Amino acid sequence: MFKNSILRNVFLSHAACDASHIKKLFFFLLIFQAFAFDTRAQSITGTVKNNNGEAIEGVSVVIKNSSTGTSTGANGQFSITVKNRGDTLVFTYVGFETKEVAARPGSPVSVVLNPNTVTGNEVIVVGYGTQSKRNVTGSVSKADLARTENLPNTNITQAIRGSVAGVQVVDNGRPGESGSILIRGPRSLSASNNPLIVLDGIIFGGNLADVNPNDILSMDILKDASASAIYGSRAANGVILITSKKGMTEKPTIRINAFKGISDWAYKVKLFDAARYAQSKLDWREQSGLVADPAKITDYLTVTEADNYKNGISHNPWDMASQQGKISSYDISVSGRSKATNYYLSAGLVDEKGLIYNDNQKRTSLRANLDNNVTDWLNIGMNATFVRRDLSGVSAALGDAYTNSPYGVWFYPDGEPTQYIVPEDQAYGNPVRPSLLTTNEEISSNLFSNFYAKIDIPFIKGLSYRVNYSPNIRWNHSYNFFRQDKHLPNNTTTASKMNYESFDWVVENILTYKRQIGKDHNIDVTLLYGRNHSKYESTTASAAQLSSDALGYNSLALGSILTNISTAEAFEGISSMARVNYRFRDKYLLTLTARRDGSSVFAENNKYATFPSGSLAWIVSDESFMEKIKFIDLLKLRVSYGSVGNQAINPYQSLGLSNTTQYVFGDGGGTSVGVFPSSMENSNLKWETTNTLNAGLDFTLFGGRLSGTIEAYNSTTKDLLVRRTIPTLTGYSSIFTNIGETNNKGLEISLNSINIQIKNFEWNTTVVFSNNKNKIVHLYGSDINGDGKEDDDLSNSWFIGQPITSYYDYVFDGIYQEGDDIPAGSKPGFVRLKDLNGDKKIDAKDRTIVGSGGQPKYRFGITNNFKYKNITLSVFLNGMQGWISNFPLLNTAVSPNAPGRGLNQLDAGYWTKENKSTTRPSLVYNNPLRHDWYMSKNFVRIQDVSLGYDFSKSMITKFRLQNLRVFLSAKNLYTFTDWLGSDPEVGATSSSDFYPMPRAITVGINVGF
Amino acid sequence: MKSLKKNALHKSIIVFACLILAMGCDKDVLKETPLGSLSSEVVLTTKAGFETYLIGLHQAAREEMTMDDQTYIMNFIGTDIASAAGVEFVFYKDYNSYLNPATREVVNIWNWAYSQMILRANTVITYANKPDAATIWATEKEKNAVIAEARFFRGYTYNLLANLYGGAPIVDSIFSSPKTDFVRSTRQQVYEFAKEDLAFASQWLPATVPKASEGRIVKAAADHLLSEVYISLGDYDKSIASANLVINSGLYHLMTDRFGSRKDLSGDVYSDLFQDGNQNRSSGNFESIYIWQFEAFTAGGGGSQGGNSQIRQWGPFLSKVKDPAGISMIVTDSLGRGTGPIRGTNYYLYDIWTTDWSNDIRNSDFNMRRKYYYNNSASAAYFGKIVEPKTDPEDTMRNIYAYPKKVEGKPWNNINTSGRTVKDVTVFRLAETYLLRAEAYFRKGDLSNAATDVNIIRSRAKASAVAPANVTLDYILDERARELITEEPRRRTLTRMGKLVERVRKYSLLATTKSTIQNKHEFFPIPQTAIDANLNAKLDQNTGY
Repeated sequence: MFKNSILRNVFLSHAACDASHIKKLFFFLLIFQAFAFDTRAQSITGTVKNNNGEAIEGVSVVIKNSSTGTSTGANGQFSITVKNRGDTLVFTYVGFETKEVAARPGSPVSVVLNPNTVTGNEVIVVGYGTQSKRNVTGSVSKADLARTENLPNTNITQAIRGSVAGVQVVDNGRPGESGSILIRGPRSLSASNNPLIVLDGIIFGGNLADVNPNDILSMDILKDASASAIYGSRAANGVILITSKKGMTEKPTIRINAFKGISDWAYKVKLFDAARYAQSKLDWREQSGLVADPAKITDYLTVTEADNYKNGISHNPWDMASQQGKISSYDISVSGRSKATNYYLSAGLVDEKGLIYNDNQKRTSLRANLDNNVTDWLNIGMNATFVRRDLSGVSAALGDAYTNSPYGVWFYPDGEPTQYIVPEDQAYGNPVRPSLLTTNEEISSNLFSNFYAKIDIPFIKGLSYRVNYSPNIRWNHSYNFFRQDKHLPNNTTTASKMNYESFDWVVENILTYKRQIGKDHNIDVTLLYGRNHSKYESTTASAAQLSSDALGYNSLALGSILTNISTAEAFEGISSMARVNYRFRDKYLLTLTARRDGSSVFAENNKYATFPSGSLAWIVSDESFMEKIKFIDLLKLRVSYGSVGNQAINPYQSLGLSNTTQYVFGDGGGTSVGVFPSSMENSNLKWETTNTLNAGLDFTLFGGRLSGTIEAYNSTTKDLLVRRTIPTLTGYSSIFTNIGETNNKGLEISLNSINIQIKNFEWNTTVVFSNNKNKIVHLYGSDINGDGKEDDDLSNSWFIGQPITSYYDYVFDGIYQEGDDIPAGSKPGFVRLKDLNGDKKIDAKDRTIVGSGGQPKYRFGITNNFKYKNITLSVFLNGMQGWISNFPLLNTAVSPNAPGRGLNQLDAGYWTKENKSTTRPSLVYNNPLRHDWYMSKNFVRIQDVSLGYDFSKSMITKFRLQNLRVFLSAKNLYTFTDWLGSDPEVGATSSSDFYPMPRAITVGINVGF
Repeated sequence: MKSLKKNALHKSIIVFACLILAMGCDKDVLKETPLGSLSSEVVLTTKAGFETYLIGLHQAAREEMTMDDQTYIMNFIGTDIASAAGVEFVFYKDYNSYLNPATREVVNIWNWAYSQMILRANTVITYANKPDAATIWATEKEKNAVIAEARFFRGYTYNLLANLYGGAPIVDSIFSSPKTDFVRSTRQQVYEFAKEDLAFASQWLPATVPKASEGRIVKAAADHLLSEVYISLGDYDKSIASANLVINSGLYHLMTDRFGSRKDLSGDVYSDLFQDGNQNRSSGNFESIYIWQFEAFTAGGGGSQGGNSQIRQWGPFLSKVKDPAGISMIVTDSLGRGTGPIRGTNYYLYDIWTTDWSNDIRNSDFNMRRKYYYNNSASAAYFGKIVEPKTDPEDTMRNIYAYPKKVEGKPWNNINTSGRTVKDVTVFRLAETYLLRAEAYFRKGDLSNAATDVNIIRSRAKASAVAPANVTLDYILDERARELITEEPRRRTLTRMGKLVERVRKYSLLATTKSTIQNKHEFFPIPQTAIDANLNAKLDQNTGY
């Protein structure tokens, strides 16, 4: 009864602001007092050993749900004072499973900790708190960061790539790029599909590249509605909870982690090389009906190209636009804990040079986590991180490199870059000219912090209140100065300064109550009320035709054309949440959650939405009838159902907005500012809601040798937030709106197996597999054509019953060969399209769904770890299968990549009279119907291989070291794929995005004092 | 001790309750007021606000040329006057395979018309007529002048759509939710709608604008265009009357004496019309009716693709031309950087001049570039020498051929490789008003007056007079080609008159174009994207596509 009232009170507090409910709140809070226990302090002693019977020093021993704790001494012994009879001691140590033991004063406690190679009783971060994995009822995956400890990751997305079931990570390998994460496939058509990132309990608004992976203790991924509903409003795409490190031992621990590596191109997009380029010009001439005499090739090339051809000079543009990839990372941390204080301080430095010229990042990161018990009932602390990323330097233009002739001239004799490498054909510039002529300073800074206070409310055991205040300030600037090109007569100087600043804050009030009632009942209630705010502003000032280039971008007033742009946006949110975890006899587990959120981004009357969820779990293996089945250690069944919302759209989308433009009247006149409507209002814009049914089975078998999780889910998303294409007759080409319904069904399997475990050798394997099938269920509910089925939306390429990313196009049906019945307008070497309706002509009616993409049908990751004595070897394979993508660059002859000009293009082969390809058209096929080209994105990748050596204790104690580990690792060793772009997983289809995936070899060292 | 603890408990509860209440009670917290974006509701509340929306319309109108490099050129390529003859160009070479509902410009022009021009015009018209806007206007005249300028642009756009696509949906309001059941009106209805807009514009637009506002729409622009629309509606008397309003206004006359920036240099009066800075009326050009404004080194002085792109499109790809020693010509500021997609047909470059080859000043060396000189000083043997006749089709079809010098101008922002100039672009000029009136007279059967109007143009050009009996629609089209080349959107003139297919078959430069054009090609198809997006009603495709 009290539960419901409290919920109602919290939920309605923003709506009904009368005084009467304050009284109610008082009343119900006071009820908690009734459960208060009498207290009496007692001392408990004991020892902690590992599974080999060796004492472990530095194990953290904490009284559960309190901040009281100690750590074990050199012989594994500890002593701690407990106040309450029902208290539980929690033993944690890095690399070992956490263990909970009931505090029974009397004889000494003997605790054995097992290494946590097998998921056992880990602590899982579940949002606004932690839970023993055993007691979790929702779908939560823990990312195994132990696997990635020895890998040269500079970004947390790299650390979980391919290793968590149902999670797809795309990291394009560029320095300073954040990568993206997709949990259980895309739900939304055009709102963001990025999961919510929660860093140390606070929603993180920055760039994932701002997080130093070395500071991260764990990442927990909430996948089903029940688990993520506590973050209801923003949780539709799943939640990733990142927890940074804390002090674990009383003795300060100093850790140094350093690595250095080099990288090269894992794959180079194949362009015509010099010989094939020349041949392609001849073939193109022949196919165009021009004279094509190989002896006169120099006449057919531009004069510039011909000179180089005659002199045997040619360039591979990728080589010209690249640099040696390098990475070095240095990281130091100090952590520890005393009775009152727990601290973790770290500093890191990463210096990365990407493979593309000037594509660099330098990152400096600092972190301070402090936690202090002021009194036995008051705990305050802060987590703060400051990151500065320096991305200065304009990187070489890949789109330009892609199109550049192998016979071009890149530099003048004086070393200055040319403007165009083939000056006769000025379609694309010299890829490195902007890099060389521009002085660029681009720095982004992020100060993210959380200040909190936690009060254990006296007299009511288990009741505590926590307040978080989390300010986040981010400021970036990008300054550019393009200097005078000494070879051009006109003034080429331009300069600009962009300054961006954003400030977000979150305030949260969290009330938790944990109680064991009698022997059988455990209850755990969390109530939350919070507000969040974010605002950004930016200003860009530009100057062109500077009268002096002495001051670079520092004095824009020197410009003769000055322009200024500035903008700002703000966002507000209000949230309240209640969660109840209930355990009966530790076998039957129930979680109920409800969250109500308000977000400013929606239309006037749709700001709020409520998201309830519930889940049940049953630990089958604890039933008496299971006792006979010895090989089962743990068997847990889970089922959950609930809803979460999505608000991942930019502010102001429900409003009709206007934009500005400029015009100049009269000769010699000044600028006139114009305004025009730029977006259609949508007064109905509302929350997107996803309902998910999730069933899971967790098991541990054969004494921990085999464990895993199998999960199936079915989720339906209603009122999808979409940017929908609408007729331009309305004046707008698209609008943000809610429509229809999509469905995601999937299966996820994670298996951990200790295959061999003998004296000096261990081999274990982790397999994750997931598949996700997504389809559109409803769109607009109209049936205009009267076929009894809901109509599709051709212009958006959305079809009922088909995946969200479906390709609707003409069907490729081979290449017309000489002697075929060829229609007017086509000729041998042109693409034959299928006449689907058999009306003897190819028109819009011959289009159909040719395939789907966006996400693979299934994904898998296999990690094999081998350990022989002190040597460890880890091999990780990552694969995705069952998806295609369009790839427009397979077109042979569409301007501006006309093969008749001094421009290069993709070498995917082409039809000639001699080589009658059945898959590739001739060089003059102009694709009048503008059909697209498609390619499989399937791949299997040897993602990470890492070899490590741990120096034995006896060797390193001489140097007073706690551990010393050296490692050698390789990243992206080889990818098996037919994809012709730079990388199938990243899937870029535009030449300007063809950043190479680096294949990196790294050596590193881990030292602990 | 006990009371102290109780006190702490009470305190913490109070703190919690207060925090909740302090944060939760502001109902307006979630209301959005954009910080960095405007909206029509905010801007269209003052006269100055309406002014900014009209400027937005002018910017959109200039985008007709500057939205990209491949849309505006379709007004010329594949017509009787020009072809994209370079070997790698595909534009309209084979009408059958090139022109379809997915063709780039078919889609681009449609989207530009509805999502820029008509939307912006409808917004101004709708808001200006709102009852609560009444307080903005000092007089009815003030309000109507604002509406008139918007209606001019709307009328201009609907006339353009009817000329190109035939019937089109008429949209005369603004929407606050998606609409997907548009239907096409007939071509006649679209012309009628344009006529209403232009008639209103004619009534309320100012006769002239101050020098600082040149480029703004004047009454004569509406009357000039009305003259064309009335021809399309078959109302020739009203067409003549509208043309008369321009011709007899006392504000305009054909230029017969040298004027403007280069009047003391060699040239003739026709070449003066197309010198840099000579387009606006304040330069002394009294033919000037509607001019797109370009201004180098000034924000808003160019469109999406920068300045006036005529030289890029009409100019041949001279830098590909080699002298007999194998050295290429170079891009210079006097020639500009052409890429050669608009290569004149023999009809335009030679046939229409034959009768008055040397006396028609429009064919003089000042107005037609027919001679070239090698300009690369690296070539000791050929520098400064005249380029000998070329025979390789790659040269003659794309790299070097004659073109009207009208398109030349000062390089955009002094960058001569840009292929663009800072020269203002003439949209309407009095000479065309005469030719529209001539057409109306002709269609009415008044050959004598038709000839008189044509001869006014011809006599200024020092060309021989045409006899009334020799005036035909084709003759008028010939004269338009001579007088208005590059200025009139030729394809639209031809489709307006129903002459495209006939004349392409007769005059196209390319045999494939002649043989592949079919009757359906008189109109553009309706874009497939428009048909696909219009879920709830059928947007009929033009016959044959």
